[in-house]
Amino acid sequence: MVDATTRFFEDLDRRGYEPVLAKTSGTLRFDLHEGAQTTHWLVEIDRGKVRVSQEDREADTVVGISPALFEEMAAGREHGVAAVLRGDMTVTGDARLVVQIERIFPGPPDSKGPRRLFHAEVH
Amino acid sequence: MGQSNTIRILDGNTFVVSEDTGDIEATPSEPTGLFSIDTRFLSRWVLTVNGERLNALSYDDLQYYEARFFLVPGMATHYVDAKLSIIRERTVGGSFREQVTILNHDEKPVDLEIRMDAGSDFADLFQVKDEILNKKGEIYAEAESDRLRLGYRRGSFVRETVISSSESARYDRNGFAYSVHLEPNEQWETRIDVQTHAIGPGGRDLRMGLRVHGTERLALQHDLEEWIAKAPKLNSEHEELATTYRRSLVDLAALRFSPLSLGGQTLPAAGLPWFMTMFGRDSILTCLQVLPFAPEMSKTTLRILASLQGTRFDDFREEDPGRILHEMRYGETAAFEEQPHSPYYGSVDATPLFVILLDEYEKWSGDVDLVRELEQECRAALKWIDNYADLVGNGYIWYERRNTDTGLENQCWKDSWDSISYSDGTLPPFPRATCEVQGYAYDAKVRAARMAREFWGDPAYADLLEREATQLKERFNRDWWVEDGEYYALALDPDGRQCATLSSNVGHLLWSGIVDHDRAEKIAHHLVGPRLFTGWGVRTLAEGEIRYNPIGYHNGTIWPFDNSFIAWGLRRYGFTEEAATIASGILDAATYFHGRLPEAFGGYPREQTKFPVEYPTACSPQAWSTGTPLLLLRTMLGLEPHEGHLAVEPVLPVGMGRIEVLDIPGRWGRVDAFARGRLDLHSLAD
Repeated sequence: MVDATTRFFEDLDRRGYEPVLAKTSGTLRFDLHEGAQTTHWLVEIDRGKVRVSQEDREADTVVGISPALFEEMAAGREHGVAAVLRGDMTVTGDARLVVQIERIFPGPPDSKGPRRLFHAEVH
Repeated sequence: MGQSNTIRILDGNTFVVSEDTGDIEATPSEPTGLFSIDTRFLSRWVLTVNGERLNALSYDDLQYYEARFFLVPGMATHYVDAKLSIIRERTVGGSFREQVTILNHDEKPVDLEIRMDAGSDFADLFQVKDEILNKKGEIYAEAESDRLRLGYRRGSFVRETVISSSESARYDRNGFAYSVHLEPNEQWETRIDVQTHAIGPGGRDLRMGLRVHGTERLALQHDLEEWIAKAPKLNSEHEELATTYRRSLVDLAALRFSPLSLGGQTLPAAGLPWFMTMFGRDSILTCLQVLPFAPEMSKTTLRILASLQGTRFDDFREEDPGRILHEMRYGETAAFEEQPHSPYYGSVDATPLFVILLDEYEKWSGDVDLVRELEQECRAALKWIDNYADLVGNGYIWYERRNTDTGLENQCWKDSWDSISYSDGTLPPFPRATCEVQGYAYDAKVRAARMAREFWGDPAYADLLEREATQLKERFNRDWWVEDGEYYALALDPDGRQCATLSSNVGHLLWSGIVDHDRAEKIAHHLVGPRLFTGWGVRTLAEGEIRYNPIGYHNGTIWPFDNSFIAWGLRRYGFTEEAATIASGILDAATYFHGRLPEAFGGYPREQTKFPVEYPTACSPQAWSTGTPLLLLRTMLGLEPHEGHLAVEPVLPVGMGRIEVLDIPGRWGRVDAFARGRLDLHSLAD
């Protein structure tokens, strides 16, 4: 079974282009720390074009986070900005990249969005 | 809040609210303190000399970022005997610094025990007016040999206040003290430095790498001078108008705010002290007001709001794809999702206003690049209007909060719980649609059509938008017109029933252009008629309505910003005299506040109170009140970008005398405008 984290990055790499990031360029590395073990995900963004790898390379922004929290974010159950404010996710380097990439995470799975009333037909 | 005897200084979203002695003793009713990133870092800061509290002889808020207090020990009646004076000088700029100077005027030497009590409750800005009994984390204090560390920890969330001093002090958990011997005429001084920290697990500060403008005092001063030098010059026969203009420019500089993580770009924050953060609506409306005077603010505001435009559905934050945010906060309640402001999107007007600002900005600046840069965001905003805001499915923008716990009930600018009512005073069910937002939607479509045709190379989209705008205008004029009162209803309920109350919102309709030409005169008459106009300005709700109350927050007070858009709207439809009447009323009111218009003031008739009665809990300075005199000037001078040049068509009341505004920036380079008051307003009343 593939976890939400792997699915998130693989989907992103497969899409290759993300319109929400059309004005964003830079490299961002997620370091998922668990005990002594760290899993790296490197996201390279060039004005919307996205490439994902697991290289441990220098990046403009490095995000430190636990695999469990990232898994929740990838499933839409946790929110990245709140996690940064809480100190549960740390950011080193250019914070703008985090704010931008945060926007491509899914919303909460139980969010329904605007509900239209159907009783009122157009006059 | 907003007591007149509190002193406030600020830089970005770090600010200090204190008593007139410089002391801070926060209580729920007196929410003083040192605040940064929506957290209180000092709630107690009390200076004593030999155990005695100090009294203020005078204080000076020299600039928005610095203040000075002259103090003596003992009670007010003993001033004449004072043998000591104490001067506190403080600056906010990144951190908080205070210089304490003590002078011995006695012919004898003195031994002094000088003590500063220091403490913090680390309250979230949302909690400062509550009795904080059950903070979920742990508050600690550590006295070290050279510093006092006050802190709060809740999981990984850590906020710390670190206090140090240039003169060596004895630190304890509740403050620090000095023993000082002063010979006759000798003086002693120390510099106290208070750092605020928001620390992540790696020990790094949340705000790392963020610098707005320099934070040292000299850099702040330089920045302010540059800001003022860059703005157009105003010369006026009336000193009051020049004072108001200068006050507006300085306050606007003070209210510039740089959101975390956006690379130091600034936009106008909503207001001091409680709204030093970005608000979609307030920031956009302020930018619109100040376009002729500070156009670069629009560019950064548009970019910042675009970079945080909604991308998904999030019911807690009321986020939708394309929606422009309402409010961003950085405190504990946002971090732990006890409040939705990370950011919160619950406003229905910020999204159309975003499109409006972009078009208006281009008309002034000629900055076509930005219009191209933000094309996708504009399209997404327009899609939001049609797809996600039309909750009833009849072509209007509606709102009904999805976050029923902490979301806003009324998502229009009149956002208090009882601001939208039927004419019998009862409140309508949800979803609700307010009239001014439909006007904004109309205007957004008309303006987007221009941008699509001229800059996006998409004439088909332009045609579509224009058709939609025309249909919206027709529909609106049919559904919202109150036949017997001859004005537009404040709101509709989901069954299409009108909230047929007469309100200031109809003035915004003139601004947006959705009013049919043959109805505009009726609206203009209402706006300067006795039910809405007090002599100072237009009330939020007309006298005679059941919920009318001259000091009702959105039900009868006068909001200067509201009036500035109403005046602009009147001008748009050619009611120049009515516009000038409102403009001169509000500018007259400004003189009673030393040029700094409050958020709101009482809706009492001018002849009854003779002076404008300040609304008790109003924030000041507030961005869109600060922007008001600038938009009123634009309106009276008839400044309008027109086919690449600046048209000037002044209509001023006689009392305004001669006004010149020099060096108005825009696509024309810099242009001057001259005007003389020729309009006799008394003849208008007849």
